[in-house]
Amino acid sequence: MFLHNLKYDFLQNIRARSLMLWLILFPIILGTFFKLAFAGIYESTTVFSAVPVAVVENGSNQIFREVMAQISEGDDALFETEYTDEETALKMLEERKISGIIYVDEKLSMAVAPDDTGSSAESIRRTIIKSFVEQYNAQQSIIVDTALHSPAKLPDVISMMSESSECNENVPLTNGNPDNMLSYFYNLVAMVALLGSNLGLSIAISSQGNLSDIGARKCCSPTNKLVSIISSMVSCIAVQTVCIIISVSFLAFVLKVDFGSKLPMVYLAGSVGGMAGVSFGFAVGSIGRMGLGAKSAVTTAFSLICCFFSGLMIGNMKAIVDNYAPWFNEINPAAVISDSLYCLNFYDDYTRFTQKIVTMLIMTVIFTAIGFFLTRRRKYASL
Amino acid sequence: MADTIVKIENLVKRYKDLIALDHLDLEIKQGEVFGLLGPNGSGKSTTINCLLSLLAFDKGNIEIFGKKMTPDNYEAKRNIGIIMQNVAVFDELTVIENIDYFCGLYIKDKEERRKCVQDAISFTELHDFTKFYPKKLSGGLLRRLNIACGIAHKPKLIILDEPTVAVDPQSRNKILEGIQKLNEDGATIIYTSHYMEEVEQICTRIAIMDKGRKIAEGTKDELKKMIKNTETVSVEISAVPDDILEKIGTLPHVYSACFIGGKLEVKCSGGKHNLIRILNVLQESDLHFGRVFSELPTLNDVFLEITGKALRDSD
Ligand SMILES: Nc1ncnc2c1ncn2[C@@H]1O[C@H](COP(=O)(O)OP(=O)(O)OP(=O)(O)O)[C@@H](O)[C@H]1O
Ligand SMILES: [Mg+2]
Repeated sequence: MFLHNLKYDFLQNIRARSLMLWLILFPIILGTFFKLAFAGIYESTTVFSAVPVAVVENGSNQIFREVMAQISEGDDALFETEYTDEETALKMLEERKISGIIYVDEKLSMAVAPDDTGSSAESIRRTIIKSFVEQYNAQQSIIVDTALHSPAKLPDVISMMSESSECNENVPLTNGNPDNMLSYFYNLVAMVALLGSNLGLSIAISSQGNLSDIGARKCCSPTNKLVSIISSMVSCIAVQTVCIIISVSFLAFVLKVDFGSKLPMVYLAGSVGGMAGVSFGFAVGSIGRMGLGAKSAVTTAFSLICCFFSGLMIGNMKAIVDNYAPWFNEINPAAVISDSLYCLNFYDDYTRFTQKIVTMLIMTVIFTAIGFFLTRRRKYASL
Repeated sequence: MADTIVKIENLVKRYKDLIALDHLDLEIKQGEVFGLLGPNGSGKSTTINCLLSLLAFDKGNIEIFGKKMTPDNYEAKRNIGIIMQNVAVFDELTVIENIDYFCGLYIKDKEERRKCVQDAISFTELHDFTKFYPKKLSGGLLRRLNIACGIAHKPKLIILDEPTVAVDPQSRNKILEGIQKLNEDGATIIYTSHYMEEVEQICTRIAIMDKGRKIAEGTKDELKKMIKNTETVSVEISAVPDDILEKIGTLPHVYSACFIGGKLEVKCSGGKHNLIRILNVLQESDLHFGRVFSELPTLNDVFLEITGKALRDSD
């Protein structure tokens, strides 16, 4: 019975061409548009200057200090370093006196301010810090080795490293691809995820006797409603996941958007976001007696508004929201999805990322529960 | 005495101030083609929806196959086939997929289902269209698909809510014949319509509804016997002077004579030679007339006499 339902739910979703096209074409067109619009903007405008950072040490690490001193001198200094304690560093970061904090422990780690300034120069600085930390961690053993056994060669190793660190930067720079542009692409993924709500709408509408004739017919059959709702849900989420995978792949491989090194996690975040989107549609679909057209307008408008506040149209919108109503960024599904992608790229550990994923899952559960609660009824006061 | 399949007692359904069903009682027996006849808005669909436990009602009792009907009465639901007033099929599925989908909600076994689907296709003569999407079907074919989806699982009780709305006469006849065939094969049928001709043609028993009330019930002959009208004579004629009209009105057995729109209409109750007497009067007065009809009472006359208004405004 379940498989029977699932088979036909899939067929329906796959054949509802306009919806699928919308979910796939939308990111492709808008993504390409972003790419074209941003290409070349930064090619010649960004003058490279030293990045202000604070260093917070856990114990003294002579080798690191030496490396830091090396790359912070001369006109092509990479960093403008200040050694301080964590509290001061965080304060400086908040006041935007520095672009990031480097924590020195066994390994290096870093912190940057939330991506809300929308300034391209700031984003480049962040990327430089990030890439330096990565480089250092990757080559730590070589550096330590050199320092211990042939200290004379240390400057060479360091200059090699700082060069490759800059080099790393130069590639995206000349491609006009600094990472603040990324936030537009993050939001694009969020948009696709939320537009999945249009898929979810049909679940509710076609299983409610008072919303559609097909719903009435289903209600008259001896098949338990739960079976058909769950199968519709599964098929919608599967279709939505495929759309997300196509979109992200297009962005990552065709447009060469740099989602960082954890691409599988990007797919994961997008898919979980898509689940939230589908279940949101399911919930809206089951509320009230409006028809498919009206509800579809509601979900589409809602998706757009969420993405607007999370910066799909205006890059620093999220920062503005953060100023006036920071809680909104925590519950705005678009902001949560795009933040999860941001965290993936800019934080080494998964704490924040996991937190965002959990938020999305909670949203999914809440929306699905609303949908189930309102749809499980089979007798209506009016048809 | 055949088994009672459906029993509706004292059913009341209100929409705010409007009473859609007003203490309705119905009893439908095994093997009947039961007609629910009534003008638009008389409560036919409301009755059906209450019967199916789709619609909550304010008062009353409904039993199907001898058991109280509830949304969880899956046993009853398994044996009911429903063809709603509006076509309810998936646009994204082909004819055969639609039938298979709905049939699958009732029948799990694949082999059995395949056979049922094939039978439904032959029954509705949709062989040539199995791979079509509903959007590509004509109105009549779409109605047939709608019916196929409702009856594929071979239900014992088939409920059809105005299945022939917006269907051309030829397709309509096909549908009506099909319904009779289903009945011959053993199904009990509930058929709602505001077309009295259809109901007269196929129904073995008829309930006439108006404003949520059952105003008459019986076979068509029983219904026609309930009223005084036995014959309506109409004569196409250009004009009838008032005195002649009055004279016709006083003829034996005539209880109403009127002239509207180029037509003299005389209603008679009993008597054998009403037509000749009327024509005689016209001839004596030297009036020329065109075509002449003598009609037995229709269900419309039944409705008209009981409610004082026509079943439907001549459409
Ligand atoms: N959801 C509703 N809310 C308010 N009134 C309703 C609703 N549904 C039906 N009605 C009213 O209930 C009455 C009965 O409607 P119903 O649909 O049962 O009529 P019907 O006999 O099936 O007519 P038709 O031949 O047009 O299908 C009508 O007066 C209608 O306006
Ligand atoms: Mg109706």
